[in-house]
Amino acid sequence: MSALSIATRTGRARARRSGAGATRPGIAWAAPATLFFLLFAIVPLVMVLVLSFTNWNGLSSPQFNGFANFSKLLDDPVMRQSIGLTLLLTALGVLTQTPISLLLGVWAAGPQRNRAVLSAVFFIPLLLSATAVSVVWRAILDPNFGLPAQMHWLFGNGNLLGSQSGSIGVLTFVGLWQYAPMHALIYQGGARAIPEVLYQAAAIDGAGRFRQFFHITLPQLRTTMVTSVILMVVGGLTTFDTVLILTQGGPGTDTTVTAYYMYEQAFQSFNYGEASAIALVLVVVATLVSLIVVRLSGYGSMRSEMEGL
Amino acid sequence: MKRRASSRVLMSTGCAALALGLTFGLTACSSGGTSSSSSGTITVLVYGDTGNTVEKQIIDTFNKTSKVKAVMQTIPGAEYQAKLNTIINTSQAPDIFFNWGGGSIAPYVKANLLLPLDSFIKQDPALKSSFLPSVFNTAVINGTSYGIPMRGTQPVLLFNNKSVLAKAGISGAPATWADLLADVRILKAKGITPIALGGGDQWPTLMWFEYLYDRVAGPTLFQDALNGDKSAWASPDSQTALSMIKQLIDAGAFGSNFDSVKFTDGGSPALLASGKAAFELMGSWEYSTQNSADPAFAKDGLGYSAFPSVPGGKGNPADLVGNTNNFYSVLKKSKYPQADADLLKLMYSSEFVQAQLGIGNLPTTTNTPQYLSTAASPAYDEYQYNLVKSAPSFQLSWDQAYPPAATDPMHTAVAEFFDGKLDANGFIQAMQNLPTS
Repeated sequence: MSALSIATRTGRARARRSGAGATRPGIAWAAPATLFFLLFAIVPLVMVLVLSFTNWNGLSSPQFNGFANFSKLLDDPVMRQSIGLTLLLTALGVLTQTPISLLLGVWAAGPQRNRAVLSAVFFIPLLLSATAVSVVWRAILDPNFGLPAQMHWLFGNGNLLGSQSGSIGVLTFVGLWQYAPMHALIYQGGARAIPEVLYQAAAIDGAGRFRQFFHITLPQLRTTMVTSVILMVVGGLTTFDTVLILTQGGPGTDTTVTAYYMYEQAFQSFNYGEASAIALVLVVVATLVSLIVVRLSGYGSMRSEMEGL
Repeated sequence: MKRRASSRVLMSTGCAALALGLTFGLTACSSGGTSSSSSGTITVLVYGDTGNTVEKQIIDTFNKTSKVKAVMQTIPGAEYQAKLNTIINTSQAPDIFFNWGGGSIAPYVKANLLLPLDSFIKQDPALKSSFLPSVFNTAVINGTSYGIPMRGTQPVLLFNNKSVLAKAGISGAPATWADLLADVRILKAKGITPIALGGGDQWPTLMWFEYLYDRVAGPTLFQDALNGDKSAWASPDSQTALSMIKQLIDAGAFGSNFDSVKFTDGGSPALLASGKAAFELMGSWEYSTQNSADPAFAKDGLGYSAFPSVPGGKGNPADLVGNTNNFYSVLKKSKYPQADADLLKLMYSSEFVQAQLGIGNLPTTTNTPQYLSTAASPAYDEYQYNLVKSAPSFQLSWDQAYPPAATDPMHTAVAEFFDGKLDANGFIQAMQNLPTS
């Protein structure tokens, strides 16, 4: 007990000593980054805010129309549906990617002999752009010349992208295939950081592999999991490229997620005002969802996992 | 009031930043081009694809004799319309630009950005009389000409796989709607998908509506609707056309998985070439698509015909739909209108016609027939040319005729009608809700 308190005291003293000579960086150091942030994040956001109260086709000057865009969105079934779809795809993404990437990551953190080679193979999707991944999967899932043509027992008539459930399934699966490696990488790092002594102590107490996983690995990866889930949520809410290439929001508007609907309004229909309003709604929804995630996970008052060590 | 003024300042800074970014992008992709603002040059903005070799060649020819030099810039395919729309009202706007006529330039005409070409035509009547009227009219808006045809025509034809038809005992392409329905029944019984459809792209689906509406109601119904008469969509002719399409879908003509098939990734052309499907309704580019995938099939196995007639319908069986041509339009603020006019005159020169035929495009000038023998596929080009020349009406694709804001809801409506998610009344309502201007 006394040995421990001496150790912390010397540690604290050392930290103070090393920091004493250096001064805190002044505001000048932050200026370039702040300027960039203002120019490329805050200014566009403010412009979108202003544009969302206008009617603008990009040619003549914007006309203010008050809340017309927002009241139109409120009555727009495609918009209402798109928010539900976005949340659904996000939830499906988290639910499918978390278990797989957790298992892959923890496995990849281990000392097995074939680990490095297999990990490299698993991480290949991470190197490909979402666009390339979508193009490849479209070809693989072609109903007449791809896998479904050979596997009727699984795919039926192969009309995967012709129904809402089929398209959502494909989008979720392709997202899983593409993003699981990145989250596995995060979990691998987290698992590597778990002190070996915990496992040794558990082994002495007679805990098997499963008990070690559920009682040491999982609790120790809690903060890692929160980080990974937040990344998944942010990625899920802004899903766009896979939708653009795999389904184009179809069949009909069955997979028109909010980000894709915004793109359609802005760059195909040239309704920049309405598109800005959609963007603003997306910002509000995304902020709400991340607030909920942060609140539920206790991210704000995160405790250390090293307590008691 | 104050809020309004300050927002405009904000917006213009934003536009400047956007335009700045675009200039960098454009300079990067134009081959050594200079800025349009320097004196003595005009900028020609073209949709970037393999056809650019001819545009470049014509501009080089122009530069040999002209004091004002033309500079070509390109924007790669899919992004063309979106980027054009962002720069057209800025100082980075080109002098002359590529477009599809109709709805693709109507918003610019409305915003008073385009130069009426009447004075050019008055000065040189050949600028109008050298082109087939049904094509030239696509870029006539409210009675004024705004564009000169500058590439090839692309009518929509009914393509077939000759050997599949022969094996099924079908002699030749269907001449009437009843023939087509009979063929569908025969092919379906043999386990062949009667008609390949890239439903995932949605615009191939739209072609069926374009032809059926023309054959049943004649070209006026769509023109009325486009001019703002929404009741046209609810007319008995409209109902008839929809019920005929429904009849074809319900007969299983398109199979059951067309929503997962695309033309653009080669899915539906492969269905036709491999004999898994017998027909495909597609623009004339089907030939070059098949030719690049399998030249032997394009040459001997690919049949083509006009869309079947509908007995009792008001439309002339010789009517066509599709992309009439692409056009060059001129901006009002161009500094050298005379140079613009001189460049446009090259669009009916023999050099232009021969160069276009050489890369497989079919120009729509009146002097085209005398060079047809030099084309890459003379018989096919001659067939198309005669169709276009004798067509009483050549309807521009609906999604190009309507303004851009209508494209997505229109595509969604046709796809949902094919899926059965919209019935005839739902479709009519969707079309009535389209913005017409």
